Amino acid sequence: MSDDQYRRDYAQHLIEQVNKGQMTRRQLLVRASVFGFSATAAGSLLAACGGSSSGGSSASPAPSGSSMPAPVMGGTIKMIGPAPITEPDPVTIYDQGGIVLVYQFLEYLIDLDDKNGLKPKLAESWTANDKIDVWTFKLRSGVTFNDGSPFGAEDVVTSFERILNPKSGSGALSQLGGVLSPGGTKKVDDLTVEFHLDKPFADFPYMVSGGNYNTAILPRNYNGNNTKNPVGTGPFMMKNYVAKQSASFVKNPTYWGKDAAGNQLPYVDGLEYTMVEDNSAQNLQLQSGAVDVQPQTVFQGAQALFADPNLRVDIYPGTGIREVAFNVTKTPWQDKNLRQAVAYCLDRPAINKALYDGRSNLGYDTFWEPSVFAGSPPSTPRAQDYTKAKQLLSDGGKSAGLDVTLTVAKYLENPQLAQLIQAQCKPAGINVTINQLSYTAYYAGSSSDYYGTTPWINAAWDITEWGSRPAPGIYAAAMLLPKAVWSSSHWNNPDFVTAFNQYESTVDEATRTQLATKLSQIQQDDTPIMVPFYITQLRTQKKNVYGIQGPGSFYCDMSQAFMAA
Amino acid sequence: MLRLIGRRLLLMVPTLILASILIFALAEVLPGDVGRSILGPYATQEQVALLNHKLGADKPLYQRYAVWAGNFVTGDWGESPVLKVPVRPTVMKALGNSMVLAGFALLLIVPISIVLGVFSGLRRDSALDRAITVSTLSMTVIPEFVSGVVLLYIFAVWLKWLPVTAMPPQGSNFFDRFYYLILPAIPLMFLELGYIARMARVGTVQVLAMPYIRTAVLKGLPRRRVIFGHVLRNAMVPTVTVIGSQVGWLIGGLVVIETLFVYPGIGKLMVDAAQTHDVPMLEAAVLVVAVIYMVANLIADIIVALLNPRIRMGG
Repeated sequence: MSDDQYRRDYAQHLIEQVNKGQMTRRQLLVRASVFGFSATAAGSLLAACGGSSSGGSSASPAPSGSSMPAPVMGGTIKMIGPAPITEPDPVTIYDQGGIVLVYQFLEYLIDLDDKNGLKPKLAESWTANDKIDVWTFKLRSGVTFNDGSPFGAEDVVTSFERILNPKSGSGALSQLGGVLSPGGTKKVDDLTVEFHLDKPFADFPYMVSGGNYNTAILPRNYNGNNTKNPVGTGPFMMKNYVAKQSASFVKNPTYWGKDAAGNQLPYVDGLEYTMVEDNSAQNLQLQSGAVDVQPQTVFQGAQALFADPNLRVDIYPGTGIREVAFNVTKTPWQDKNLRQAVAYCLDRPAINKALYDGRSNLGYDTFWEPSVFAGSPPSTPRAQDYTKAKQLLSDGGKSAGLDVTLTVAKYLENPQLAQLIQAQCKPAGINVTINQLSYTAYYAGSSSDYYGTTPWINAAWDITEWGSRPAPGIYAAAMLLPKAVWSSSHWNNPDFVTAFNQYESTVDEATRTQLATKLSQIQQDDTPIMVPFYITQLRTQKKNVYGIQGPGSFYCDMSQAFMAA
Repeated sequence: MLRLIGRRLLLMVPTLILASILIFALAEVLPGDVGRSILGPYATQEQVALLNHKLGADKPLYQRYAVWAGNFVTGDWGESPVLKVPVRPTVMKALGNSMVLAGFALLLIVPISIVLGVFSGLRRDSALDRAITVSTLSMTVIPEFVSGVVLLYIFAVWLKWLPVTAMPPQGSNFFDRFYYLILPAIPLMFLELGYIARMARVGTVQVLAMPYIRTAVLKGLPRRRVIFGHVLRNAMVPTVTVIGSQVGWLIGGLVVIETLFVYPGIGKLMVDAAQTHDVPMLEAAVLVVAVIYMVANLIADIIVALLNPRIRMGG
């Protein structure tokens, strides 16, 4: 079957699903974006379904800066955020500071939109074969790197082969593990690339999107000299980089991007990024007017920013979580009754209120959470229920009470979450001792056996922060499958694995929904981890700054940002 | 005295060698390794092992120390494996920044605290003495992250009289630099004022009780001459010693101020290096601060000896 025929059939299938009531309009948009339909094409699909294209529930509130004035050209936007921990090599970056810098001068095949949907970037379209184990990407023509060399399939192939080579040290190797292997990325012609997967994977486009930040497309001759001679296709060029202090960018005069009116992007002449670790210091700089944009604002201390008449805090539907993982190989967490007992002790709205002023979305210990990931089946809310918790403790042989230790890094709001869990477990007879470690100690491990020793993977019960992931399947693949190297729960449920493989092997929405329901139920019932909330993302800017693209946080595309007069 | 100074300078050599060994050993016991710091928690064990091997971080400690020390003494301070920048210019630039901040802070702290301390000592047990003692000690107990945030909010955010950072923009003139340093220097003044003023007060009170002061007064010397000719000169001995011991901290220990005011000093550089197992950067920065510390103490001892020739410098 040709690609076009396949896309036509899939489009017809999506329309039928919506008309039969088996799929919402929002689900249609998400699935259409995964399978490479442009926004226009997706709109046509909605129109074909009949009714208004604005139907369907929004997963989360839209950014509040949606009423935009006309773009203004020129000027320099001053940004503030943490410094990259290391020299920001796109192949190995793993922290906020590194990602936000790389986002300005490099690009991905696919980008994430404001609601974690997919939008074309260096790839104009993408389709899968019937088995969903070969994905074909059509690349954008007329794109050049800022050193003048043309962008093409060769660059894509070398970029993926590089991160799949263990010698590169890229964290993407773990992310793509079991899905894409070395040699699986093949050039078809100068502007066509095929990804031959190890197994069918319907969410694969997310893995080559900006959400998987190490998959930035680098020139084929990239030699790691990233801060001294940075080369990319992005809207800006890095002009200066001073480790731990600042970075500055100027607009890329040969950038391919244009706005809807045909204006050359980017709008501004340049960006200045000041590196400041401390959130209070960042907030004070914003309030003093010294800087214009804070790509990621943390809730703690943000009240003053919300109240500042000169600033606008945009709220984005975040998908970041705090994973409260039970290590099911360690006592007492082998018994799911005890895991469930803890889950029923949590007063999730109270936690949300205490940590995020009630602005985040509640989670019920499953990744298929419809309030966060459009297309997910309804989850079963877990309200605080001490009677049930005590019964579960009794069923687990702990009617006299349970003494457990919760390990947590002194980082972000994790210690406060641990304290809330401790307080909410006590009335049920669960005595929680908090083992608070420094951030460094929490992620440390022996040189010879890191994953066998590091606390974040090996503690009996711990809290780990996860940045945004664009789809439930990406989360599950990273931490709930038996071979997932980042599995703090060490959970191995054959029913879940079978259903998950089926889920990622089908594009039939009715089947996917059935399988998602099953996966959600298994995950929630077994409770290898607790997911009490999905964290809404905040981004703060001066009131005259508009047009920042991306799903909040450090995925921050400034190509259409501008400063109104 | 020159012989004694030479002896003190020579003693620095074994001290620095011992310090460098200690830093290497302590960096070893810190959790994690440099490969993991560079690649992060999501890299596989194999990837980290490959990088550690490439960096030589998997060699025995004594081998790594020998290589590093051999290069260091010949002027090759190496490159940071984490930041991929040459160590020497990075450390020296950060040191220069820290010395400017410390120097400016000392310019504010020393005269004010000595005046307050001596005045307090001369008016011992008076209401003024108590007011000075209580107020300066109260300021001393306010942590710099509290006073710093409050001052920033009042003077930079609310009144907008002073800049919110400590570094002026590129191209600023010499005096601009000091304008930018006013706000970060004030929390340091709060911290040091009580301590140094207290020492000046104690020194003054002790000297005032000495027989030679009583003799000077009884033989009819004017009060001003007694104070400036005899009291101050001798009362400054403990104060100068304390100031000397604080210089090292003012240069290498201002992590909080440097973080809050976004100032690229050597304190923050050392903390970052320690957290990421950046041993070449950590070694160089700590040794440089150690030298500053020892030189500052030596200078303080020389000043003390000049103030009071009866005191001879110890070994």
